[in-house]
Order: sequence, then structure tokens, then C-alpha cells
Amino acid sequence: MNFDLSDDQRQMRDSLARLLKDRYGFEEHRRTAASAEGWSRGIWGSLVELGLTALPLPEAHGGLGGSAADMAVVMEELGAALTLAPYLSTVVLAARAIELAGDAALKRSLLPEIAAGRALLAWAHDEAAGRHARRWIETAARGTGEGWVLDGSKANVLYGASAGMLIVSARVAGAPGDAGGRGLFLVNAGAPGMGLRAYRLLDGTPAASLTLSAVSARPLGTPGAAGAVIDAVVDAAIAALCAEATGAMRAAFAMTVAYLNTRKQFGRLIGENQALRHRVAEMHVAMEACRSAALLAAIAIDDPASCDAPRDLAGAKLLIGRHGRFVCQQAVQLHGGIGMTDEYAVGHTLQRLTVIDQLMGDADTHLAALADMAH
Amino acid sequence: MDLRLTPEQQAFRDEARHFVATRLPPEIRERLRAGHPARKQDIVAWQRMLNERGWAAPQWPRAYGGAGLGDIERLLLQDELLRAPAPLPLGFNVTMLGPVLLRFGSEAQKREWLPRLANLDVWFCQGFSEPGSGSDLASLRTAAVRDGDHYVVTGQKIWTSTAHLADWVFCLVRTGQAARQQDGISFLLIDLRAPGVTIRPIVSIDGAHHLNEVFFDAVRVPAQHLVGEEGQGWKCAKFLLGNERTGIANVGFCRERLGHARALAARVVEAGQPVSANRRIREDIAWLEAETRALEITQWRFLCSAEARDDRSGVFASALKLKGVELQQEIAALLLRIAGPASLEHRSHAAAEPGDWSAALGPRYLFSRAASIYGGASEIQKDILARALVG
Repeated sequence: MNFDLSDDQRQMRDSLARLLKDRYGFEEHRRTAASAEGWSRGIWGSLVELGLTALPLPEAHGGLGGSAADMAVVMEELGAALTLAPYLSTVVLAARAIELAGDAALKRSLLPEIAAGRALLAWAHDEAAGRHARRWIETAARGTGEGWVLDGSKANVLYGASAGMLIVSARVAGAPGDAGGRGLFLVNAGAPGMGLRAYRLLDGTPAASLTLSAVSARPLGTPGAAGAVIDAVVDAAIAALCAEATGAMRAAFAMTVAYLNTRKQFGRLIGENQALRHRVAEMHVAMEACRSAALLAAIAIDDPASCDAPRDLAGAKLLIGRHGRFVCQQAVQLHGGIGMTDEYAVGHTLQRLTVIDQLMGDADTHLAALADMAH
Repeated sequence: MDLRLTPEQQAFRDEARHFVATRLPPEIRERLRAGHPARKQDIVAWQRMLNERGWAAPQWPRAYGGAGLGDIERLLLQDELLRAPAPLPLGFNVTMLGPVLLRFGSEAQKREWLPRLANLDVWFCQGFSEPGSGSDLASLRTAAVRDGDHYVVTGQKIWTSTAHLADWVFCLVRTGQAARQQDGISFLLIDLRAPGVTIRPIVSIDGAHHLNEVFFDAVRVPAQHLVGEEGQGWKCAKFLLGNERTGIANVGFCRERLGHARALAARVVEAGQPVSANRRIREDIAWLEAETRALEITQWRFLCSAEARDDRSGVFASALKLKGVELQQEIAALLLRIAGPASLEHRSHAAAEPGDWSAALGPRYLFSRAASIYGGASEIQKDILARALVG
């Protein structure tokens, strides 16, 4: 058993933390969120320079062959700074799908572009009618003889408006909730028949909804046999999101402790009040559970044989959802009125945790899945 | 990041599992599984079997009859015992007094006591709390006055678990008045059969007799039973309370209880359907399993980290105890909910048949509330955490 960061991981963490501290402070974050595109190409360039876009990609295609544990280190730091960047969407979701389902030629052409930070892709899988049901795909793919076309709609496509290419899930056969018959397709941004509405999530993350009407698409892997790939991609994203959440919680906690040691009321520091001190202790205990859960999620990706991977992933997302909400709610509460303001950072951690809970299945969804798993 | 045990650790765990599977008497297992506390004769018999194997005192050095196990192996062994479930070696003897003697006792005391503690030839209980000294332990008043080669002890202890089963008690007594109240305290071993000792039962809200009051009326205690130097008792007590990092979270216990909850939910029937058909119950089991799993990792993380090993603030131990206690209490309540009305009829632990699944769960739920009170109440643990985290 070993839970220490490797030297490489420590170095990567320190470099990234320094970069974000210097160049992505909270004011920069607010400016970025208010910008037209909603994320910073400047910071993106720095992430590319650090090698982070190459990190999880295979070495054969310009990547560094990093593990989910490596990615967790990166995601935690990105989360702590509330970083807005198309990192999860391109480097985790899309790159993973291409790596798992793409043919050799596609990998050769796309993965090095992603590794070099030149290609931005998005993952268009969720549908409003499916809510959290991972298998629910109404969007239909049909073969035309010359190729494939897609009809349907997609929701909450992260950084969808910035992507040059989208990976869209669509049903080749079967009913909306079926496990079989799911496919993945590549669609170029701006393809005829595709409507895109860009918006922001509660935490400022750029997202988009899509309408697809006879949009021509290239299959990614065997059409209709992408179920396992979709599951694996979403699992990797769950592990990454759990790590990101622990970073945001860490930031919320640090801000809260600092505030308790600064703010005075009734002639003394508010951190001298036992009710508040005990809340901090409870937040700490909740965060330790989340750290362990996030770690389990990463191990479930890297070494599934050493654990009960489906259970550990679902359990991690459940605990992150529940405890993350607790930690960030209390961080706001302990700040009082200032915690409710947009111009103060702590409330933005609650925004982030709220969004993370709703992505890739919320706490209720994963709890229901756990309750139905055979023992 | 790696969850895997080394081949040696795996072999050790398999060996422990095999030992428990082949040696633990089935009726002891059945009693514990149903939720009854282990009986004295069972605890003694089992500890002697463990002692024969060299495992009664996992953390003591081999030279004194211990197993000399490292932290990880100790926890693996404890988890195997709890998983069975089998009784753990008596904590008062093995994890509390034993390490204090090893650290502060004279060579003569070590030779006299350690073999008997390991073999449970003598059963110790703990005399710390007093009616006026609970969380504020250092305010204790039971007095030990030196008289030649004896101390004369007068005072009262309370919440003394198993005093009615025990032969001896290790006590914190006041031997002097110092400016700092911690400095006048000494650590003394007292024979419960000595003249002047009176033990009075306290029946707790589970209807059972675990707890006692112990009165000392001019009890003469040979001075050779002082452990450490006079006035150093607080150091012994702090060492004793801080030294049990391994296993404080009780993960193995939670896991075993959750396994029982699953089995029980499949067996207890409501209107022709097993309780496990109830989604709310299934979800609560699943949630507590996820929490227990995370706590298991937290425990391993702390155990493997140098930072936690050197922890003087108590932040790691307190975090583990807080979460472990919360889970134990939630699980006890869940088991009662699963048993439902069948758990209502009051039957004493002693009267229940070994396999009676419904009798123990009500009392166990009620007594589970003690877990956040003893060994440093949860509010004290939060104070400890806040001091380290907030300042």
C-alpha cells in the first residue's frame, strides 16, 4: 500500500500550483468567466507548456502515458483555483473516447493534436430527457449508404462552442435506455444541420446545447458497439471530477479558516466561538472522506483489479456529492454575508461543487446504483 | 497510489483468516454476529488461544510475549478478528495497560504483569473518570496518600466498564497538590479484592450491566504498584489515550455489522417481502458501505503517512474516531430499523439464545450512543481538531 505522491507527481503539482497562483488568482478567474469565450487561452497555453494536455495520452501518440492518479493531482489543483479551461472536455472525455474507440489513423491524426494543445474537442452525450441515466440516448444515428447522419439533441456539452470537433453519442439500435446499440460519432463544429446554443453553467463554465438534424457524422469505432467505451469515458471523468472537487473543497476550507482568524465580532475573533470551531472540525472530517473517495476513484481506473471498481467509483461520486455540498455550504455559512457575494471567492466553490454533483450522475443516482448492485 | 498488500502482508492476512476460521468456536461467532457482547469466559478462552499463537498482544515486543507486529499487520489482524467476528484481545490489558508498562514500568513490573495480561490470567479495568471529572479528567480527586511502603487510596471512580468482571484496576489518583492539576496525578494498580473496595453496578439505557461505580475507602495499595514516578500519571494517561491510533476507526467492526445488515435485510420479512426490497433501507446500507470504504482508506492513508505517525496534535486520531463513531452509531440505528418491531421485546443479552437475531439489536442501538461519549467525547475530539486547524 502506498498513498504518497511520486516525485514526478509532486513536481507537477507544485509547478501547476505556482502557475495558477501567479496567473489565475480569483480576480483573473472572474475576468475570465466574464470574457466572451468564458475561458482563458493564455492559461490554456501554460497548461500545454507544462505538458498537461499530453499527460494522459498514450506515448505512441505524443502523450506522456499518465495515469488517473496523475490526472487526479492535476484536477485537484485546477479545482482549487476554480480554473475555467476545456481540460476535462478535451483531455479526459474526448481524448479517452478516441483512444479507446478510434482506429489507428484517427488516433494518429487527432491525439498528437490534443497532446500539443492545438485541437479542442467536446463530449456531447447527455440528453435532457435522460436526466442522469447514462444509457439514455434518444439521438438517432442512421446509415445512409454514403455515411451516417444524426438526429436528436444534446445538453450541457462542456465547452461545446469552443470545440472544433464534437464526439456525439447516438443510438444505432434499440430503445433509449438499452445497454446495447449505443454508438459514438465525430461531428465537425458548424456541420450543416447542427444548431448550437451556448450558455454558462451555475459556476460560469461554458456549455452548449445541440440540436442535430440530419448532421453527417463519422463513426468512432464500430457503430452500435460503443457502450463499453461510453461507460469507460464517463468513469474516467468521474475520477477526474472527484479530484477536482477535493481541490475546490480544500480552497473553501482554507478561506474559511483564514476568515475565522481575521473577522472580529463582539470584540473577538469569530474563530474563538465553539460552534464555529466545531463546524470546521466537521468540515475537515468530511474532506478526509472525500480525499479517500477521490483516491479510490483514481485507483478504480488505474488498477481496477485491486478494488471493487464500479462500487468504488459510484461511492466516490456519492460521497463527493454529499460531503462536497456540506463543506462548501458551511464555508459560505461561516463567512456570513460576504460568503453570499459574487465578488468573494468562497461562494464560487459552492457553485463549482453544485455543478460537479450534477455532472456524470449526481449523488442520488450513484446511491441508487449502489443500492441495486448485487453484493 | 497503490492499494495492494505486499505478498508478505497478504500471506499474513491469509494466515490470520485461516487461524480464526479454524479455531474460533462457532457459538462465540454466532453470539457476536447476533449483536450480543462477548461473555467473559468466551473472551478469556479466545484470548488464550490467540496467546498460544503469539497474537494476544500484537503490538508488544516479542521479548515480552507480544507479536511485535508493525502497524499494518496489527490492523490486518484486527480486521480479521472483527470480520469473523471474534472477540478482540481485552483492550484494557493489551492496548492500554500493556504499552504503559512497557514504556513507564520497571523491569520487575513488566516481568510480573505482561505475561499475565497477555494470557488474561488477570483482567484489568480502567479507573479514570470520576463523578466530577469526565471530559475534564485532570480535575480528578481520588486521593492516594503515602504511608510507609503503601498508598492509602480514598475516593470514587465511575463509568468503570467491566469492574464487576475484573481482578484489578489501573487508576489515576491524586498524590499531590501541584500548581498545574495535571502534575499531582499518579498511575496506580489496585487489587479490586483489597479491603475497602466496593463495586456498585450501573445499569445503562440498554438494560445491561457494563458499567460500575468503584469506591475506595482507605484502601492500602503496596507502593510497588505505582507505575512510573509519583506525579507522572498524567503522562502515562496521555500516552495511553494517544497510543491507540491503529484501529481507532473500527472499520472492521463497521464492515461486519454492515454485512449483518445485508443478511438480516434479506431475511426479515414485511408483508411477504424481504426488508431488502425497501429501497430506502438498501440505499442506507449502500451509503454506509461507501462511507466505511472511504474511512478504511483514510485509516490506511494515515497509517502509511509519516505525517500521521508523528502527529502530536491528535488531528489524525480525532478525525478517525469522529467518523468511526458516527458510522458505528448510524449502523446500529440501521440494524434496529431493519429488525423493526421484532426488536422491541426486551430480553437480556444473557437470556437470549445465541442465534436470536432480534434480541440484541435494540440494546446495541441504545448502547451505541456511548461511543461518542467515552474515550474523549465527540465534542472533545472536535475541540482537538479545531485547535490544530483554526488555532
